[in-house]
Amino acid sequence: MNTVLEIKNLKKYYGNNRGIENVSLKLNKGDIYGFIGPNGAGKSTTIRTIMGLINKTAGNIYFYDKELNSDDITIKEKIGYLPSEINLYDDMTVKEILDYHESFYKKNINKKRKELSKLLKLDENKKIEDLSLGNLKKVGIVLAMMHEPELLILDEPTSGLDPIMQNIFHNILLKEKEKGTTILYSSHVLSEVSSICDKIGFIKDGVIIKEDLMENISKNNYTYLIISSKDIDDIKNDLKLKIKSDNGSEVVFINDIEINVLIKKLSKYKIDKLLIENIPLEDLFNNYYK
Amino acid sequence: MIKREFKVNIKSFIIWTSILIGMFLIVFLIYPYIITDETMTSLDEMMKIFPEEVLKAFNMDIASISTAYGWLKTEGFMFVLIIIGIYSSILGSNIVLKEESDKTIEYLHSLPVKRSQIMTSKIIVAVIYIFAITLILGIFNYVALLLSGDFEHTQYILLSITPLFIGLPLFAINLFISTFLHKTRKTIGISLGLVFLFYILNVLSELSTKVEFLKYFSIYTLADTRNIITNTKLNLTFVIISLSITLIFIILSYVRYKKKELIG
Repeated sequence: MNTVLEIKNLKKYYGNNRGIENVSLKLNKGDIYGFIGPNGAGKSTTIRTIMGLINKTAGNIYFYDKELNSDDITIKEKIGYLPSEINLYDDMTVKEILDYHESFYKKNINKKRKELSKLLKLDENKKIEDLSLGNLKKVGIVLAMMHEPELLILDEPTSGLDPIMQNIFHNILLKEKEKGTTILYSSHVLSEVSSICDKIGFIKDGVIIKEDLMENISKNNYTYLIISSKDIDDIKNDLKLKIKSDNGSEVVFINDIEINVLIKKLSKYKIDKLLIENIPLEDLFNNYYK
Repeated sequence: MIKREFKVNIKSFIIWTSILIGMFLIVFLIYPYIITDETMTSLDEMMKIFPEEVLKAFNMDIASISTAYGWLKTEGFMFVLIIIGIYSSILGSNIVLKEESDKTIEYLHSLPVKRSQIMTSKIIVAVIYIFAITLILGIFNYVALLLSGDFEHTQYILLSITPLFIGLPLFAINLFISTFLHKTRKTIGISLGLVFLFYILNVLSELSTKVEFLKYFSIYTLADTRNIITNTKLNLTFVIISLSITLIFIILSYVRYKKKELIG
């Protein structure tokens, strides 16, 4: 029962148009899974298929060990969903929509609602139609989390939130994770999720192109090797590394040679300048999409 | 969910009910003044000009418009049937689709409710409102008729419930059509178009025996006011057909909605 959500070869076509081609991923209990990809890659389609808003063309979605039936109330009670674009009933106040939400659950969820509203500094007296994008997002977060779901599905949850509020929100997520909540966190910004995710899946053109543990991605063996030398042509031939940039006097290599081996190799040449830098995650992320 | 549906739809209910009540209030207030012996003579002259088929189409061959009740049996009920038909059609096409069109379906669908429950709560509210508009108008006219003169009570009661036999199937048909759409933008045209199409088919079918078959394609045939006026009883076959059409289209709507792509 450790696997909470498993997706196998999920495919969704809108007529002849591709939504997603092949998405497989697995979330274990307490995981925060970063679902990363540029706009139009298929993140929202995957999420909407999980939520049962749209019908899959092929593949399987399992919630725990059973095929997910999005029309099953007992399953729905265990899932929290924050869509990328939040549309609520404009005629209601924040208090009314939260009361309305509460009325659908048998268990008492008022305590959690109050706790979240306080943390996110939510003004419950405002009308939905008067809320800014950020405040609307906060209402969406409370709605998705107030019933303490076992699986939380977040589609671009921080768009519209200021950095302070993003930080508060991430702290809330980390606390939920400690309690065992499993979180699928979709974003198009890797740096946004890198601090809280355990696992990252990169999606491109409807296909998961890479999936790895965050710790492996963070401690990637790639570095930028910046060298300035009169022997640069010999060094290029010797190292046989991919070149990121070359302005004539300075060459930036993408290096995966072990540091001691590298130093040994470079000791043969006269070097004017040598710099070794970690490749930022964002560059690594962009590299996947080239 | 049902409570919220009542609240969301109360405004349009009040507007449509007010339109009907307002129309009949004006008629009941001014009718005694416009119908005098003199105007009746001119009206009778005018009626003679109309072909029998036209008079038949508006029940004017079996009822006289010399009294408010007479007017009610002819033109009055024509308006009631059209307006309640439009109201029911608009309710049918909008009540479920609105959630998708306003994109609130993504939130509603995330709640622990089945799609069938969403559908049921909306159908319950719509049917109650269709009954309520018919009932309120019926009671209003009943009281007004009591105050304005003599009328046949049983005949009137039967007449006043006929809007249900077109309102309910029109609601169900429009509800079913709405399960193929994603936006409410086009529904007003479809709703009005259907009502007028059915109504015109019904009128045409009365005009000539050659086109009488058109009545089989019109929901308005089911509001058999002619039979009530002449025989003071409901045509049970039509009642059963009306309820069957309603039920069939509601079932089809459930089936279709269960599989619908809620694009939003």
